[in-house]
Amino acid sequence: MNTNYLPSDYLPIVVQLLAALGFIVGSMLVSHNIGPKRHSKKKDDPFECGIPTEGDARTPISVKYFLVAILFVLFDVEIIFLYPWAVNFLDWMKESREMAIAIFVEMILFMGLLLVGFYYIIRKGVLNWNQ
Amino acid sequence: MLSIISLSLFGILNLFLGFLKSRRVLLPATLLFIALAFAANLLDWNHQYVYFRDMLRTNNLFINFSSIILLTTFLTVAISRSFGTDEEHTHPAEYYAIMLFSVVGALMMVGFENLIMLFIGLEILSVSLYVLTGSDKRSLRSNEAALKYFLMGSFATGIFLFGIALVYGATGSFNLSAIGSYVSGGPTTGISPLLYVGLLFILAGMLFKVSAAPFHFWTPDVYDGAPTLFTAFMSTVVKTAGFAALYRLLTVSFTGVYGLWWQVLTGVTVLTLLVGNITAVYQSSVKRMLAYSSVSHAGYLLIAVAAKTPQSPSAILFYSLAYSIATITGFAVLILVAEQKPIEGRPDERYEAFNGLAKRNPLLAFSLAVSMVSLAGIPLTAGFWGKFFVFSTAVDRGMTNMGMVLVVAVLMSVVGVYYYFRVIIASYLKTGDSEPIGIRPLYRFILVLTTALTIGLGLFPDVVRQLF
Amino acid sequence: MPYLSLLIILPLLAALLVVFLPNRNQTTFRWIALVASLLNFLLTLLLFFRFDKSVAGYQFVEQTDWITLSLGPLGVVSIDYFLGLDGISLPLVLLAGLVLAIGAISSFEIKQKQKAYFALYSLLSASLMGCFVALDLFLFFLFFEFMLLPMYFLIGLWGGERREYASIKFFVYTFLGSIFILLVMIGLYLSVADPVETAVAMGLVPGKELVDANVIADVQNYLQEGRIEADQIVHTFSIPYMAEPGNYLPQSLLNIAADHVLFGQSARMLAFVLVFLGFAVKLPVVPLHTWLPDAHVEAPTPVSVVLAGVLLKIGGYGFIRIAYGLFPDGAIVFAPWLGGLGVLSIVYGALNALAMNDLKRMIAYSSVSHMGFVLLGLASLTSEGVNGALFQMVSHGILSAMLFLIAGVLYTRTHDRQLDSYRGLAARMPGYVTLTAIAFFGSLGLPALSGFIGEFFTIMGAFNSPYLPNWMAPVATLGIVLAAGYFLWTLQRLFFGEFWSKHEAGLLTDVTPRERLMLVPLAALALMLGILPGILLNLTQSTVGEFLKNF
Repeated sequence: MNTNYLPSDYLPIVVQLLAALGFIVGSMLVSHNIGPKRHSKKKDDPFECGIPTEGDARTPISVKYFLVAILFVLFDVEIIFLYPWAVNFLDWMKESREMAIAIFVEMILFMGLLLVGFYYIIRKGVLNWNQ
Repeated sequence: MLSIISLSLFGILNLFLGFLKSRRVLLPATLLFIALAFAANLLDWNHQYVYFRDMLRTNNLFINFSSIILLTTFLTVAISRSFGTDEEHTHPAEYYAIMLFSVVGALMMVGFENLIMLFIGLEILSVSLYVLTGSDKRSLRSNEAALKYFLMGSFATGIFLFGIALVYGATGSFNLSAIGSYVSGGPTTGISPLLYVGLLFILAGMLFKVSAAPFHFWTPDVYDGAPTLFTAFMSTVVKTAGFAALYRLLTVSFTGVYGLWWQVLTGVTVLTLLVGNITAVYQSSVKRMLAYSSVSHAGYLLIAVAAKTPQSPSAILFYSLAYSIATITGFAVLILVAEQKPIEGRPDERYEAFNGLAKRNPLLAFSLAVSMVSLAGIPLTAGFWGKFFVFSTAVDRGMTNMGMVLVVAVLMSVVGVYYYFRVIIASYLKTGDSEPIGIRPLYRFILVLTTALTIGLGLFPDVVRQLF
Repeated sequence: MPYLSLLIILPLLAALLVVFLPNRNQTTFRWIALVASLLNFLLTLLLFFRFDKSVAGYQFVEQTDWITLSLGPLGVVSIDYFLGLDGISLPLVLLAGLVLAIGAISSFEIKQKQKAYFALYSLLSASLMGCFVALDLFLFFLFFEFMLLPMYFLIGLWGGERREYASIKFFVYTFLGSIFILLVMIGLYLSVADPVETAVAMGLVPGKELVDANVIADVQNYLQEGRIEADQIVHTFSIPYMAEPGNYLPQSLLNIAADHVLFGQSARMLAFVLVFLGFAVKLPVVPLHTWLPDAHVEAPTPVSVVLAGVLLKIGGYGFIRIAYGLFPDGAIVFAPWLGGLGVLSIVYGALNALAMNDLKRMIAYSSVSHMGFVLLGLASLTSEGVNGALFQMVSHGILSAMLFLIAGVLYTRTHDRQLDSYRGLAARMPGYVTLTAIAFFGSLGLPALSGFIGEFFTIMGAFNSPYLPNWMAPVATLGIVLAAGYFLWTLQRLFFGEFWSKHEAGLLTDVTPRERLMLVPLAALALMLGILPGILLNLTQSTVGEFLKNF
């Protein structure tokens, strides 16, 4: 396989890119310019299946959803650290016992901090949906 | 190192202190925590330690910088009182905790030995600040500032990270000294162009954080919108940490390409000085003026970085110390004065609010005058020596290199006198309403302390300077 | 006895006393300030009598270490508390003592915020005195900068209608000047080594007191040969050391021999110009003078008196001591320029004074004109010129103090200084007329009054100078003619003819005993110096003679 590409080898890609961009921009410009423009209250209304619109598209959602979502992501991401740790732990054990213990203590510390955070969340009442 | 660990734990502890019924314990507890961290920090004096396989290094320079950061944090916390107008929706425990966490980030930026560590420190600091900026939840300005800061800041962080990646691509390492030996040792194939681009991106990211022109556009809006207490915190701690990191990065890793970044930095310095000072003149709000003044002080600090003489670190240290103390005093007085007569529910931060301050509370007026005089760099105050040391580094580097910068710096410090003295004019020469302003004992103590420090450092700079 | 320290400490103590005394008894404050300034004046007289006129060097020297900063590879910076007096500074110290005492008497008319006023006034006195006796450039700079603050507040708090504008203008102008000086100061301290302390640092001698001329010469030789380690060199701000080329590090920025080039100019010339600009603002030299009329018009009478009588002299003193003393080469190169600026100030100031309708503004411009003579005399670099310049400074200090007091007399009575508001005052205020006439005639250079001697000597110097073109002296005499014009015309407009005034005639009473107490001694002194100029010239002669050997 040829691994030495010259900048000129990328020319077709550039041409493709330009053509794509040119088509999009060009067609938008053309349709915008030659199409008729008529404004009226009816015409400028958002239109959906012939039914009049009602309310706002962005309805407020309770902030609790966001909180739970963010907390989920937070803890989920931190749990991911456990996988590589767990997979490698046996190898560490074989290598040196002392090191393995140190690493184990570190993981306990990490989990401990997570638990402290979890306890904080519960005390704060974030997971309490009744309030 | 002990200080970083203890601060993190104290931060968590602080969160739980928030569950106590009485909120009165929070402020003394936080102050105690900071003082303990300060003491823990001093334990390593005259020792060099490297932690976590060259991730973090502590030495006397680290201790000096972190002491300044902890001192300014202490002062900021001491002048804090309430957050936002209604008590119910504020969470002082969380804000104190976030402040402690952001100090952890700042300390990591001071002691980093690895670019990853710098990035983590920077992120911890920035993310905390985004939150603190928006902590006045009911104020539209505060929300706007937080969002603006967040968007711009994450963009800058992105560029910064990209720069790190490019430098890694060129050198194959995140380690400062490894990059340094690549740059100065000169690989046989010549330095990769990726390194230059990466360096410029890193510079752009860092200069954004210390609000140097042309990366300063967020500064006035964010500083203006954030609650004044956190503006004080931002404009001091971030600046000190940012300059410590910038200097460390540039001197340890990139000494070999001094010719390149020196030019960039002098250009930025000139621009920062001009923009910061000239726009500050046209402000009608003291808070905005102080925001622009912090931009201009970033310019002065950049002089010492760009000069890169052996004296630069101590010049930066002294300047940051003098600047931080004076700025905290300025903001402390601003907080008190501005809340006296709110306009439409917002604190009145215009110059006019200071009218007749000398009559209303002589101590406030005097400490404000001393801090402004110090920021303007007039002798017998700490600010003068800061300018003196910074200019000395530039003269030492050589007039052919730094002459232009010096000329601009000199002219701009004269411009500075004009806008700093407007505050003094208002408080001493103008007459306003004569309702006295009362202050709490702790507040009074902090003001007396900072004023005494400013004058004391002005009279005997050698006392502190011996330490640096 | 640390006489010179006392000169600074006495007013400082007075300031502290005023600050810490309770507010109840407002009148005590002015007595404290007055007593301090009178004691100070007596002290300067004592110095005058104990001064050895035949010695050219510094006397009453006091020196203690103040700040010592180790800058690693940049060596050590030592800033000393270093005071001394020579023939150049003594006349100015005498003048400052006198004018500050007169100013303190005149300050009795201040009725508002007396505590702040007298504290600031005493502070100002201390820093003015400090300026004249400091021999460490850094210490000088501190006093030089610090005096801006009390002056700023004195104008800004007790001034006239446009006081804010005038005070900030004053501050910004002079601050700009002093920043220039700061830059040069940094350049100088990086360039100059203290031979005595360097000898100690090198271990040549165990202690400072054992250093003699031989050791100093040795150190200077080592220095020039570059045989001293960088971290052993003790940098200094001492003005006497800076004046010796032997103490400059070889290849340093401001070494004469190294001749560095900056922005296409010689570094030393550039430094000279910067220092010159710094002091030119203070003197003031046209076109940097515009702060002066504004400041004078707005300042209350005693502040005007101190401003004209003492503050402007620091500009002239700075020229001699620092610009000329440390950069004699620059003084020679720029002599025609400086002379030209001097002549410009003389003529421009005089023409402006001629056009003024405000009495104080007229006097302010006459100050610009008269200080132009100082610059011209200095630029001539001749013995007559420099002695004359010093004489002119003292004489102008006395006369301008008188002139501003005279303007103050009118102002306290009617709050109106416009010349066209009065006519024929002679009939109602005979004492006032006499004193005004003495001050006016003294200022316009009538022989037998002090102004004549100063102008005569400076113009003579300009004539004899090898550095100045010949046309300058005659043009400068034009300034005297114009001075005669505006002073006599003012005299005529104010005093002669039939009495008429915009204001109630009853207001215009003759000078009070207190005003007489201030004006009569000044008038007597102007007369005495006019007849016996030797009193002052003997003081300056030997020092100036030594000073001119540099050129």
